[in-house]
Amino acid sequence: MTVQCELCPKMCLIEPGQSGECRVRINIDGVLRTVVYGFPCSVNPYDPVEKKPLFHFLPGTRILSVATVGCNLHCLNCQNWEISQKNPEESTAAFLPPEKLVQLAKRYRYLSIAYTYSDPIIFYEYTYDTAKLARKEGIRNVLVTAGYINPQPWKELLEYIDAANIDLKFISDDLYRRICSGTLKPVQNALVLAKASGILVEVTNLVIPTLNDKPEQIRELARWLKTNLGRETPLHFSGFYPQHKMRHLPPTSLKTLEMAREIAISEGLDYVYIGNVRSNEGENTYCPGCKGLLIERKGYTILQNRLKEGCCPDCSQEIYGVWK
Amino acid sequence: MTRRKFIQKLIKTGSVFVTGTWFARVWATLCGWPEGRHTGLSLPRKFVRAFRVKKYPGYVRPLQDISKQSKWSG
Repeated sequence: MTVQCELCPKMCLIEPGQSGECRVRINIDGVLRTVVYGFPCSVNPYDPVEKKPLFHFLPGTRILSVATVGCNLHCLNCQNWEISQKNPEESTAAFLPPEKLVQLAKRYRYLSIAYTYSDPIIFYEYTYDTAKLARKEGIRNVLVTAGYINPQPWKELLEYIDAANIDLKFISDDLYRRICSGTLKPVQNALVLAKASGILVEVTNLVIPTLNDKPEQIRELARWLKTNLGRETPLHFSGFYPQHKMRHLPPTSLKTLEMAREIAISEGLDYVYIGNVRSNEGENTYCPGCKGLLIERKGYTILQNRLKEGCCPDCSQEIYGVWK
Repeated sequence: MTRRKFIQKLIKTGSVFVTGTWFARVWATLCGWPEGRHTGLSLPRKFVRAFRVKKYPGYVRPLQDISKQSKWSG
């Protein structure tokens, strides 16, 4: 019997013995099964939270990061294609059910767990159960995702999530279709729902030369973000490196990223960052009120953090984020 | 079969069909299935999760390997 997976907007109709587009949700004897539940291919204890990137969430802390193989998108430029575009049967994983993962986080005193690298949407049940257990133990949960998910499962998952970095890859449906085999609207809906749920939301836009690096595209993206998520939502312009099936394009220059940052700030966004490329001002957090330096970063390292109780020490402006 | 019995049987079958359809629609509405949307009575349906499997289709390695810094982004 054919089954339909209702997790993401692809709504895959899966024949017996076959998997959905994500490769990890399989029809076994007429029952939809997830083959990666409790089997992460990557468990990384060393990631700083700034690598996600999350700049407004417990700065300077390490975050236990987990991922399984598979992804529901197939971005030509994927930076983690070696795991995201791999079939589970060709991969190696550790057995780490939710209870053990939370125990591990607790034993090493992690403040948070990140569901990341590939996309936590496709290991939904594993993420959900782990996040629920972690919440009980006082450990925070972070998603790093492309946000390509249907509203109902998304709402249910968000109940146990504290923060998310969600990609808004393009502000064009055509580019989503051509480059990622997805569509724009569901991602926009996921962003709006996440923000409305009250969790901390940061947005990443990978700037790819010739595809989405034109000033008008950047302006449109910044405007949409400000109107729908609010000016306080941090936006990260990330530098592209030739990867996977997009090796013919050059890396994004610092100049382009700085131009993108300037446009987004001029459109009224309070916190705009540059990532994947070393930059002076683009990695720091400044107060939107008095423009004073609040958090100075170099790469993933915090050089100074002047925040006091989540506020600017000079003008007392409250800064959007989870600071303790 | 007499004509009267035939008509009785026909009515019985028809009423079972009508009642069954009505129950199915009410049930669908309560579950928030697409049919329910048009009635304005639909409730948000809980997402139907996938079941887990006991055996990973790939290779399972011991946990200690994870202590290496990963090269993955994000």
